[in-house]
Amino acid sequence: MSNSPMLTRHALTWLLLAQALAIIPHLLHVPLWILALWLFCLGWRIQIVRMRLPAPKTAAKLLLLLLAGSAVYLSRGSLVGLEAGVVLLVAAFILKLVEMHSRRDGLVLIFLGFFVVLTYYLFDSSLLAALYSLLPVSALLTALIALQRPAGTLGTRHSLRTASSLLLQALPLMLLMFLLFPRIAPLWSLPVAKERGVTGLAESMSPYDMVELSRSSELAFRVTFEGPLPPREQLYWRGLTLEHFDGRRWSRRDSAFSGQVAPSWQPQGESLSYSVIMQPTGQPWLFSLDTPQHAIPRVDMQQGFYLQRRRPVDQLFSYQLTSWPEAVREAEAAPSNLRASLRLPAQGNPRARAWGNELRARFADDEQLVAYLLEEFNRQPFVYTLRPPSYGEEAVDEFLFDQRRGFCAHYAGAMTLVLRAAGIPARVVAGYQGGEFNPQGSYLQVRQFDAHAWVEYWRPGQGWRSVDPTYQVAPQRIEMSLQDAVAEEGSFLEGELLSPLRYRDRPWLNQLRLHWESINHGWQRWVLGYQEEQQLAFLQRWLGQLDGWRLASWLAGLAVLVMGVLTLWLFKPWQQRGTPAQRLLLCYERLLAQHGLPRQPGEGIRAYARRAARKLPEQATAIEAFSRYYEQLQYAERGDLSALRQAYVQLRRRMRRWPWSR
Amino acid sequence: MHDTLQACQQAINQVLLGKQTQVRLALACLLARGHLLLEDLPGMGKTTLSQALARVLGLSYQRIQFTSDLLPGDILGTSVFDRQSSAFVFHPGPIFAELVLADEINRATPKSQSALLEAMEEGQVSIEGQTRPLPDPFFVIATQNPVTQSGTFALPESQLDRFLMRLSLGYPSLAAEKALLLGEQRRALLPRLEPLLDHARLAQLQALVPQIRASDALVDYVLRLAQATRSHTQFAWGLSPRGSLALLNAAKAWALLEQRDYVIPEDVQAVLPAVAGHRLREASDGSGQSGHGLVQWLLREVPVL
Repeated sequence: MSNSPMLTRHALTWLLLAQALAIIPHLLHVPLWILALWLFCLGWRIQIVRMRLPAPKTAAKLLLLLLAGSAVYLSRGSLVGLEAGVVLLVAAFILKLVEMHSRRDGLVLIFLGFFVVLTYYLFDSSLLAALYSLLPVSALLTALIALQRPAGTLGTRHSLRTASSLLLQALPLMLLMFLLFPRIAPLWSLPVAKERGVTGLAESMSPYDMVELSRSSELAFRVTFEGPLPPREQLYWRGLTLEHFDGRRWSRRDSAFSGQVAPSWQPQGESLSYSVIMQPTGQPWLFSLDTPQHAIPRVDMQQGFYLQRRRPVDQLFSYQLTSWPEAVREAEAAPSNLRASLRLPAQGNPRARAWGNELRARFADDEQLVAYLLEEFNRQPFVYTLRPPSYGEEAVDEFLFDQRRGFCAHYAGAMTLVLRAAGIPARVVAGYQGGEFNPQGSYLQVRQFDAHAWVEYWRPGQGWRSVDPTYQVAPQRIEMSLQDAVAEEGSFLEGELLSPLRYRDRPWLNQLRLHWESINHGWQRWVLGYQEEQQLAFLQRWLGQLDGWRLASWLAGLAVLVMGVLTLWLFKPWQQRGTPAQRLLLCYERLLAQHGLPRQPGEGIRAYARRAARKLPEQATAIEAFSRYYEQLQYAERGDLSALRQAYVQLRRRMRRWPWSR
Repeated sequence: MHDTLQACQQAINQVLLGKQTQVRLALACLLARGHLLLEDLPGMGKTTLSQALARVLGLSYQRIQFTSDLLPGDILGTSVFDRQSSAFVFHPGPIFAELVLADEINRATPKSQSALLEAMEEGQVSIEGQTRPLPDPFFVIATQNPVTQSGTFALPESQLDRFLMRLSLGYPSLAAEKALLLGEQRRALLPRLEPLLDHARLAQLQALVPQIRASDALVDYVLRLAQATRSHTQFAWGLSPRGSLALLNAAKAWALLEQRDYVIPEDVQAVLPAVAGHRLREASDGSGQSGHGLVQWLLREVPVL
């Protein structure tokens, strides 16, 4: 280490800058003490450079390391795992600052820096983050170049220029790697950081979860339709079907039931084809319009007609679907299947149950009963609100008969309960409704506040049918948007004052936002969405049907081609070097070298010939003749080339040694 | 003409035993119109070499012993009032000789040193507002003692550059020394040396040097050498263009002595230690004695092609 040169001030400046650029985005999710540690180490480093403070001794370094380690443990509860690991990495990256002495340490810092930049993608893979990471990467490269320069040589501009030209040169390679590098799922999937995917539909739902969700403007998924956009009131995005009710929360069927076969259904009517790019949720279910048919590997349709993946969606996931909105679902259901959709909690909400029984007595026909119930929601003074009162033990009773203020989940839950009490199999569907159409990219984007819950009930011979009690209460919610539905209340995105979505009524701002979102959509679709399947499809389009051997030979051929072109470009064999005499000299040297007489670089022709003649006395005259001719030609500039060539041919004839004639 | 040169070398070698290479280099230096710096211990034959050269080449000879109280006037000469003619008459100093031996040049003050060095560079001296040309040919052999450095003023690099070559004679070989001890007193041999050249012949020979052919390929080699000194970090500084010019000139003179009318890389290599040794210094060295190692590195590593 001691023989590695010291860091120059120029290199150190770039190192500090690059480090700052690499750390800044991480500050959003690392604990605050990291910032303090950074400022402390930075201050110390600067004092070391100004020679006001000594470099830390071993004991001090150990103490710092111990402190940082325990701080990571205290703030993240562990030293391993994604988040703790990243914090530990950033802390180590910072601590390296104070114990930097030589160029070698600078190199360590730079490589750590590249890694730190990379880890940020675990938290944010948006276009903005990717563009930003160009900054620390260029700074790190510049620091790397500055590090390799001896003190007092060329300045910043030169380093920067070299760095940017390096980046530009890396571009084609990057593109090639992006297209061809195998995306092997288990190797490249990482756990989702907790900061991501916190919002979204959960496995069980209480009405308040839904209200909570509607406060978030985060993106849930984007959809591109192949045909024209269907009307808004048809856009019911099923996430999952909730059948189990414990009096307060709706949840999925117990997992013991989840091993069943896919439900039966018949396509009917028009179909819709669309592709979805889903944000990571950390949950396994996908979003679809009813009733979807899919060809996505490792995805199954569940009993509740929703699609579930075998692994959670922990990175952007894109898929294609075809849906039949008018399909008949489970026209002939086995009673055992329906039992779960009739089950009521043992007790609670007596008034709702009584109402269900009363309705049953009044209407023989299920359809009439449902229609009456929906009308009731319209007739009674129900209020659709984002600020529902808090309900007590008998939540459904209080909601239906006393307060009558609720969000979509209140309505869906209450209606399902009443239907079950009336003996009609019913369940709650949780998902999203509507979405915002972005004309710039002609796609639909669905956000968390589009979360919605509705009801489906079963009728013999007709199967499951969806109804939406919210539509009766607040038709604007379905026909226009949540913002319009709660416009009077003014409760839309209360918590997100700065969200541009709040200001959709300013046309220029809205245009700007839609443009930006469209760019982001392109990024997600074409860059982040380029996963295993897309890669395979892409390769197949260019290379035909693909199997392992074919792919391997293509790749090998490509590699050979690239290397070949590079070799040609580097060595330029078509550019002959030197004069003809010099080329003959090279041949002569090679010939003598075969006989164990390589020429020393600083050896003159005469001295070389004398040495060779001494070693090979029988060839002495020929060697000296060549040397004489060469000298004449090259230095006296007289004599002719043919004599030299002649001399060489003579010599070669006498000396050529074939590999097999040893 | 070549025979004359051979004869000159032989004559000098009779006086200075076993120093053929140095004698030839000194002759080459003179033919290339350069000045010579001899760096050696006392008693190694510096004076003998210079005297023999002067005699054989038919040059007038003056010796200036440099001391710390030597004044520029002592070198260049002064005007003295002549009562008879009632005018100042210039008495030329020892510098007005064709071959000047400046003995122990580093013992004089920088002021006196630069008086000599300026004269070497210009070929003329300005005294009391009057410019006086120095004789032609004009050849300075300066000597300095590398060991005793106390009370001396080492020549700065800029002035070292004025000397075409720096030589050191070194101890004679055993055989040469034996011949020396057994033979006649060398100094006594000197007056008996016959001048083999006169001014006209010498000027003729000196005029031949620039006509020696240096081909493109050879100049490329000289350039490679210069480039190597400039680009490798072990060199404190690179060879100046004056240095590479000196190298080429010396190589031409060497080629002339080798009886060739063109230069080959071996000529350059023969003169390189003498020409470049005092112009180079290792980056890690302050004493200025590391040129030799660097020259060896150049000879070994720079491709001749």
